[in-house]
Amino acid sequence: MTNLAQLFFDAASLGGLYAMAALGIALIFGVMNLVNFAHGEYIAFCVFALIVPSTDAVAMMFLGRAPALVLILVVLALGGLIAVASEYAVFRHLRRADPVAMMIASFALGFVIRNALLAAYGGRPKAISLWPGLNTPVNIAGASVPLLQLIVIVTTLLVVTGLALLLKKTRIGLEMRAAAENFTMARLLGVRANRVITGAFALSGALAAAVALIMATQTGVADVKMGGQIMLVAFIATVLGGLGSLPGAVAAGFMVGIVSVVLQAWLPLDARPFRDAFLYTLVIVCLLLRPQGLFVPASAKPRV
Amino acid sequence: MSKLGVFDISVRYGKVPAVNDLTLHVTEGERVFVSGPNGAGKSSLLKAISGAVATSHGRIEMDGDLLTGCAPEAIARLGLSMVPEGREIFGALTVEENLRVGTGLRRDASAVEEDIADIYDSFPILGERRGAAAGALSGGQQQMLAIGRALMTNPKLIMVDEPSLGLAPKIVDQVYDTLCALQEERGLTLLIVEQSSLRAARVGGRMVLMRGGRIVGEGNAADMADRDALAAAYFGNSPTETEATT
Repeated sequence: MTNLAQLFFDAASLGGLYAMAALGIALIFGVMNLVNFAHGEYIAFCVFALIVPSTDAVAMMFLGRAPALVLILVVLALGGLIAVASEYAVFRHLRRADPVAMMIASFALGFVIRNALLAAYGGRPKAISLWPGLNTPVNIAGASVPLLQLIVIVTTLLVVTGLALLLKKTRIGLEMRAAAENFTMARLLGVRANRVITGAFALSGALAAAVALIMATQTGVADVKMGGQIMLVAFIATVLGGLGSLPGAVAAGFMVGIVSVVLQAWLPLDARPFRDAFLYTLVIVCLLLRPQGLFVPASAKPRV
Repeated sequence: MSKLGVFDISVRYGKVPAVNDLTLHVTEGERVFVSGPNGAGKSSLLKAISGAVATSHGRIEMDGDLLTGCAPEAIARLGLSMVPEGREIFGALTVEENLRVGTGLRRDASAVEEDIADIYDSFPILGERRGAAAGALSGGQQQMLAIGRALMTNPKLIMVDEPSLGLAPKIVDQVYDTLCALQEERGLTLLIVEQSSLRAARVGGRMVLMRGGRIVGEGNAADMADRDALAAAYFGNSPTETEATT
């Protein structure tokens, strides 16, 4: 029982993190048909925004010293800002370009951000301590769970419901959903392309910032590479969920998190180092069976 | 008074020309059918007017405003609405959400609710299924929804691309009855792509015949339908066509 509860919290918090990262990618893909590979670098950027630029091994907190509420709001705003700025500087000029050209541009943008971070902070991973108190364990249902895991789970639920409400209840949400389905038609009905795309990038960047805050607290490390790793998993989750499907991205993000935690726990000891190989084999099997993604609703396809 | 003026426009996709130096005028309150065989450039003409595709040459005006080079959303704001080929409703959105997408450009928020109620009056089935996913509607219902959705932008000119495509004749009758009633009621100007000249003749209006990206004949739809101009457009040269192109 203890084990199961522990497993549940591990899986739910990791899944929540993946789900938020996947949502950030799916939002942009939905309105622009762009797989934004710079998304991982948005995450890294937000983590490094917490500390003073230096090449020391132990980082001085910069933004990280601000009171929690201010810190959270500023980092979310920074994430939104870098995403919107990158749309304005790069993707806006490629709207009529081939999706492949846009994707490659996103790689290039990712390199630029990553190397800018390397230049400012050096390549060595740094220890940072953001809210260390959150890693103290609390006892729930016999399992010893770091407080942060609970916060991650609650945050994910809040973010997902908040986003769902925004998309369902607000004007900009309606326009985003319409644009995600058929951008040209939405524009023919007077929906402003720039407004929708800027909105999607701002949301996506804020999601990257949320992921960044969680990762920084959880790992206690600021590493330029951390964005790329989670970006890969999140991208797989969006493909698995059906590219562009927001509920699909959330569900698949959770699924990937749960499966990897379960594999970690239940694989024989000798096989554990190869957990990711097992995980990705399952991904391949899923895609072979449902190449269009697991959660594409039948009603999404208009009748001819 | 000229509502819509298309002056000498060309549209090409890469090197493939779709519309060649076409000029067309539509007067306020008029009903104009664009007919012609597949590949004549009818849809491209509509897309060029709505801003969905760029013109390579020429200019388009509505009420004296230049549409050429404007984004589709800017053209929609000037009072032009489009019911595209294949209807292109938002299948994952509900019926009512589909209607609301086009209301963002309006300043008269209170009139929006009345207009939605009006549309449910005109199309009771849409009212009944307002909360359902639009993708679950039948083809005819989707066509009604596409027309209702176009109306929600409060347009002065509506362009309809092949409203009869894939619909049973009885449903097509209904669609045209509705369009004509709406035109009467709101003083709309209609520009309709209709491949069946007989259908156009029955509904009545002016007909413009296209072939190879050009206008090759023009006249009252009822007269055009039984003239050999049609056979000419569809099957090859005839005196009418030579007359029109020279």
